[in-house]
Amino acid sequence: MNKFGILMQDEFKRLAKYNIIQVSLGVTVLWLAVLFLIGRNEAGAFIPLFIFMDVSMMTMLLIGAGLFYERQENTLKTLMVTPVSTPAIIASKIVSAVYIALQSTVLIALAGHFLFDASINFFALIPFVILIAVAHAVIGYLVSMHVRDFTSMIAMLMLYMFIFAFPSIFYAIDMIGGVWETLLIVSPSHAAMLMIDFSFGAEGIGTLTIIGVVYLSFLSIVLMRFFVYPKYIETAIKE
Amino acid sequence: MAETIFEVKNLAFTYPKNGVQALKDVSFRVEKGEVFGLLGPSGAGKSTTQKILTRLLKDYGGLVRYRGKNLREYGDGFYEDIGVGFELPVHFSKLTAVENMDFFKRLYQKNIDYSSLMERVGLGEDKNRLVGEFSKGMKVRLNFVRALLNDPEVLFLDEPTNGLDPANARIIKDLVWEFKERGGTVILSTHLMNDVEELCDRVAFITQGVIREISTPRELKIKHGRREVRVEYHENGRTKDKVFPLDGIGDNPEFLEILKDGSVETIHSGETSLDEIFIKVTGEEISHE
Repeated sequence: MNKFGILMQDEFKRLAKYNIIQVSLGVTVLWLAVLFLIGRNEAGAFIPLFIFMDVSMMTMLLIGAGLFYERQENTLKTLMVTPVSTPAIIASKIVSAVYIALQSTVLIALAGHFLFDASINFFALIPFVILIAVAHAVIGYLVSMHVRDFTSMIAMLMLYMFIFAFPSIFYAIDMIGGVWETLLIVSPSHAAMLMIDFSFGAEGIGTLTIIGVVYLSFLSIVLMRFFVYPKYIETAIKE
Repeated sequence: MAETIFEVKNLAFTYPKNGVQALKDVSFRVEKGEVFGLLGPSGAGKSTTQKILTRLLKDYGGLVRYRGKNLREYGDGFYEDIGVGFELPVHFSKLTAVENMDFFKRLYQKNIDYSSLMERVGLGEDKNRLVGEFSKGMKVRLNFVRALLNDPEVLFLDEPTNGLDPANARIIKDLVWEFKERGGTVILSTHLMNDVEELCDRVAFITQGVIREISTPRELKIKHGRREVRVEYHENGRTKDKVFPLDGIGDNPEFLEILKDGSVETIHSGETSLDEIFIKVTGEEISHE
């Protein structure tokens, strides 16, 4: 097995040991339970929202928590003195975050398709979820590397959610509109929401979805190259 | 002639964020099979030097050659050659000691059967316990095992016995000695002068980013010591002491008389300790924190 494969295997083992995979599965089960409680007639409208929350917010929270543990344990630095490149180390963590997001998405989407008659374009949903998870993992990374303690990390993630995620959720359930439609263009969460909605057959958002895909791809690359990667090295060395 | 492992010339480094010049003009060589000590107070530049030699810091001035080749030309394969023992514990606390070692071991092409080493450092019975349940001393010992996982040729150690009881410190020092006997090279950062005296072939005193002195512990002691002998002896029911110059002491009648008299209680040469040399050279007290 090549080194990236070993890193991935080790990362999954670590995430399981730290109960991160289990917590993610537990949250998915909660989403499914809520869907059953909502009832067959209404559940279909909530499935895209739950997938959005899981893939964006949970990804940020889980990757942030995972990295925070590593910072506390000084393990970033010791990985830096192994014959594995730093991009491979970061990539292994992002791929594992994407896996966790996909695991939840597939479970919720399959339940939606078979139990709640939701119409889902899986060929769009899966690549979109991968992109959304990558973008939000990168944002989660960035947040957790700029905070001093766990409380600050939670506060920063909550702040992010208030600024970016909640307006998109409010927009999705028609609580807000008008000027927000324009303002939300800069929100990664809104781009994510558009992409998920598109996968669930929403009409009239094709162009906006393409803009969302380009925006999240661009944002992920820029944040990774110019912020996350140098900050990761700086954080690891400072340990 | 021994192979030069590291050749450091005019090394300089400034931390970009705060503009602090951590290293100014540092030059030294480390030969194969040598234990080279980097000594200095906190913030002197020891850690920065180690971080450059382990390729963690790359934007440095000057030249570092590893085995004759510019360090900048090495890739990640460089880490197959070296082992790094950090001062602070660097393990996943929710993994057992064995799981931690397996995690890192698989990243190297060459590695050792670490179980005998775990036994040797006294962690054999605890190898399946979570590292989070380990005491500080146990984590320090596990750090040492981690550093040797890839059977390195060069070992970087930062305060390897800090926080260990004398018996466990002895085990670590014996293992460092055995590593050196097998031809390994060690670069040791410490403020524990006892470790320096026991382990180091040569030491560099570094302060304010500049190397003040490089020599063997023995030569340093001779250079900074006083060439004198202090004798405590008993006379007329009282303990007296007198200092004699070391030169020509065999012909000093007063000294010989005290010896013949049989009233000598203690004799001390003017050899100084490395603690005193540290303070003299660096101008700072040793921190025992």
